[in-house]
Amino acid sequence: MAEEPMKLVAFRKEVRAWLRANLPRGWGTPEFKIPESMTLERHQLGMWWVKKCYDAGYTGFGYPKEYGGVERPVEERAIIREEMARTGTPGGPYSLGLLLAAPTILRAGQEWQKKRFIPRILSGEESWCEGFSEPNAGSDLANVQTTAVKDGDEWVVNGQKVWSSNSRYADFGVLLVKTDLQAPRHRNLSYFLFDCKVKGFDRRPLRQMSGESEFGEMFFDNMRVPDKNMVGELNRGWYVAMTTLGAERGGGGAAAAAATEGGRRTVGAGTLDLVELAKNTKRYGKTAWEDSHFRQQIMQIAIESEAMRYSGVRNIARLRALRQPPGNEVSISKNFSAEMRQRRGELSMDIIGAYSQMMRGSPLAIDDGDWVYASLRAKGATIEMGTSEVNRNIIAERILGLPR
Amino acid sequence: MEWVLNEEQEMLKTMARDFIAKECQRAHIRAMLDDEVGYSPVLWKKIAELGWLGLTLPETYGGAGMSFRDLAVLCEEMGRALLPAPFISTVVFGGMLINAYGTEEQKKEWLPKIINGEVIVSPALLEEDGDLWPGGINMRAIARDGEFSLTGTKLFVTDARAATHFVVAARTEKTDNPEDGITLFLVDAKEWGIFIKSLGSMDLLRKQYEVEVTRVAVPVSNIIGGVNKGWPILKQIATVAAAVLSAEMVGGMEWVLDTTVAYTKDRIAFGVPIGSFQAIKHQCADMKTALEYSRSLMEWAAEAIKDNDPDAPLAVSMAKAYCGDSYRFMTNRGVQIHGGIGFTWDHDMHLYFKRARSSDTAFGDANYHRELLAKHFDKHMGGSTVRGRGAMMMM
Repeated sequence: MAEEPMKLVAFRKEVRAWLRANLPRGWGTPEFKIPESMTLERHQLGMWWVKKCYDAGYTGFGYPKEYGGVERPVEERAIIREEMARTGTPGGPYSLGLLLAAPTILRAGQEWQKKRFIPRILSGEESWCEGFSEPNAGSDLANVQTTAVKDGDEWVVNGQKVWSSNSRYADFGVLLVKTDLQAPRHRNLSYFLFDCKVKGFDRRPLRQMSGESEFGEMFFDNMRVPDKNMVGELNRGWYVAMTTLGAERGGGGAAAAAATEGGRRTVGAGTLDLVELAKNTKRYGKTAWEDSHFRQQIMQIAIESEAMRYSGVRNIARLRALRQPPGNEVSISKNFSAEMRQRRGELSMDIIGAYSQMMRGSPLAIDDGDWVYASLRAKGATIEMGTSEVNRNIIAERILGLPR
Repeated sequence: MEWVLNEEQEMLKTMARDFIAKECQRAHIRAMLDDEVGYSPVLWKKIAELGWLGLTLPETYGGAGMSFRDLAVLCEEMGRALLPAPFISTVVFGGMLINAYGTEEQKKEWLPKIINGEVIVSPALLEEDGDLWPGGINMRAIARDGEFSLTGTKLFVTDARAATHFVVAARTEKTDNPEDGITLFLVDAKEWGIFIKSLGSMDLLRKQYEVEVTRVAVPVSNIIGGVNKGWPILKQIATVAAAVLSAEMVGGMEWVLDTTVAYTKDRIAFGVPIGSFQAIKHQCADMKTALEYSRSLMEWAAEAIKDNDPDAPLAVSMAKAYCGDSYRFMTNRGVQIHGGIGFTWDHDMHLYFKRARSSDTAFGDANYHRELLAKHFDKHMGGSTVRGRGAMMMM
C-alpha cells in the first residue's frame, strides 16, 4: 500500500530483517531442500520455527496473557502474515495446535485445560493432531462411529480416525467420539483431548496422491482418556467442533490467504513465479508468455491474488468496526483460495506441457518437480477443512439465508 | 486506505438510495427503454440540485469537493438501479477531464455549467474497429485559420442525443507512432455537420449512437490538454471511467444477487422453495463470492485513485477485468435461476444482463485490461509483490 503509515513501513522492514536473519540458511533458494512431509526432520523444523516466532512475538495473538498470549495491533499481525507468506516459512503443517486445538480450548475448555495446554501450543513446545474425520464421516462429520464408554473417571475409546493432519509426531490430539449410542445425531458426540503416548493408541501415515503423507490414520483400541479431558459438556461435542471449524477454515483461507504449499510457494508471490515460468518455457518455438492464452490466464491469477488480499484486509477492517469475530464468511475465502490454488496449479501444468508429467526426482523435472507437486497437492485444498460443496452450502444457508 | 464507509459516505449512500427509489421508479425505467434520448431532463435537474454533477470538483467552481471514493459510493447506487442518465459521461468526460487537463479559462467556462446541469458531455472516442487504442482513432482534424475542421465517424457513442457537447478524439497529425498526433476536442453538439444516428444497441438504458462529423469547425480554445497531447490524457481519463464503471457494476451485481436470492426463497417447485436445492444454493454461493471479490478490487481501485496512488492504473485494470467478468457471470446465473420468468422482457433481469455486456465492453474489456497488466509485469519483473509503479495523474 503506497500510503502505509510510516510506523507500519518501519515494522514491515523489521519483520523482513527478522525473517532474513532467522529463516534457515539458504531458505527460498534451490539449495535449501525442505524435508519431506511427515518425516521427523520436517516435524522438528516446523516446531523449531513456531518456537522462534513465538519468542520474537510474531505468533500467539488473540489469547489472554495468562495463557501465554501475545498482544499486537491487527495491522502488524497482517504485516507479519504477509511477510511470512512472501518468503514462505517452514511452519505450515505444524499449525494445527494453533489453528484448531488452542481456539477450541480457549472457547470451550476448562480452566485447567487452558492453563495446561494453550501456552505450550503457542510456544511450539507441544504439537497437536486432529481426530475428526473417519472412513464414513467426512463431509458428513456427524456420522462419527468411534465410541467412548465411561469406566469410572475414565473413558474407553475404540474406533478409527482418518485424514488426521500431523498425527505422526503429535504429542496430543483432539477427538470427536460417540458417547451416546441412542441419542439423535449431533447430540450424541463428545469432544476430548488425548495424550498420544497412552496405551491403546496407534497411528500410521496415509499416503496422498501427491506421493507424500501429511496426514495419518489413527486407531484406538481400548485407549483410556480421563474424564477431565472432556471439552464442553457431555454429548455436546458436535457444537464444540462446529464453533471452531470456522477458525480452521479461516486459517486455511483468509488468514493464510497465501497458504504455503508444502512450505515452498505462496499464492500471492506465485504470480511472479508464473510469469517467470511462462517466459522461460518454450512452446512451439516461442515462449509461453508470448501466447496470449497463457498470458491472460496468468494475469487472471494475479487479479485473483490481489482480490483475495484486499478482501482479507477489508474483512479485518469491517469486523473491527463491527467488533465481531470472523464468521461464516471464511467459507467464501476458504473456497476461493483453494479453488484458485487449483486453477494456478492447472495453469502451470498447461504451461510446461509434456514436462508436467515429470515428478520430483525425474531428470526432466522442472524446478525439481515443484510445479507438479503444488498442482497435485492443490487437489486436496478443496476437500480438506470442509469440501467446497460443504462451504457452498454454508455460504448459501448461513450468509444468504437460503432454506436448509 | 479506508475499508469501511465513513459516516458521510453512509449518508450519501442512504440519500442516493432513497432519492433513486423515489425519483426513478420502475415505470420510469420502463419508459426510458423506448426513449430515443434516454434520460429525463426533470430528473437531471434534480440530480444537479443535489450537487452530484460536481461531487468531486473543487468548491471554487461550485463543486462539492468530495473524494473519488465518495463518487464510487454514489455510482454503486446508480448502477444498482440502472438509473438512466448521462451521469458517468458528464462527470468523467466533462467535469473530471476539464478539471484535470483544462486551462483555467476552460474550467471557469465549463465546470459551473456542468455542475448546474446545463452542459451534458458525451465521449465520442471509438470508431469502426470498436477498440480503445490509438490506432483506432482516425477521425481527421485539419488546422485552418485558428481552428480545426473535424471530419469522420464516431461509433458506440453513449448519451449522444442527451449531450450538449462531445469530447471527441481526433487525429491532428499522422505519425509513425499512432499514440502521437491525437487531440481531444470539446465539440458543440448543435453544430451543423453533426449527424446522430441510433445504432439499435443492446443496453436500452445506455443506448449507443453513431455520430457523423462533417467539416465541423472547432475553435482552438476548445482543445483539451493541447494539440497532439490527447492519447495519454485519454488513457488516464479512461482509467477513471473504468473505475467509475466498476463501482456501477458492483451496485448492479448486488441487485442481481439480492433479487435472485429473494426469488429462490419465494419460488416453489416440487413443493419446496427452489433455494433449498443444492444446485441452486451452490450457484448463489458462487455469485456471492464473485460479488465479494469484485467489491474488494473496486474499493481498492477507488481508494487508489482517491489517494493518487501510483498503483492506481493497475488496481483499476484488475477491478475492471474482474468486475466485467463477474457481472456477466452473475447476470447469466441470475437469468438461469429465475427460469422462464428470467427470460421474459417483463422481468428486469435482462436489463442487468445487457448492462453487464455494455459495461464490460466499455473502456476496455476484461481481456484488454489483463493485457495491460501483462505489459506491466513485462516491465516490472523482479519485484517481490504484484505491485509496481504506474503513472497516474491527480484526479
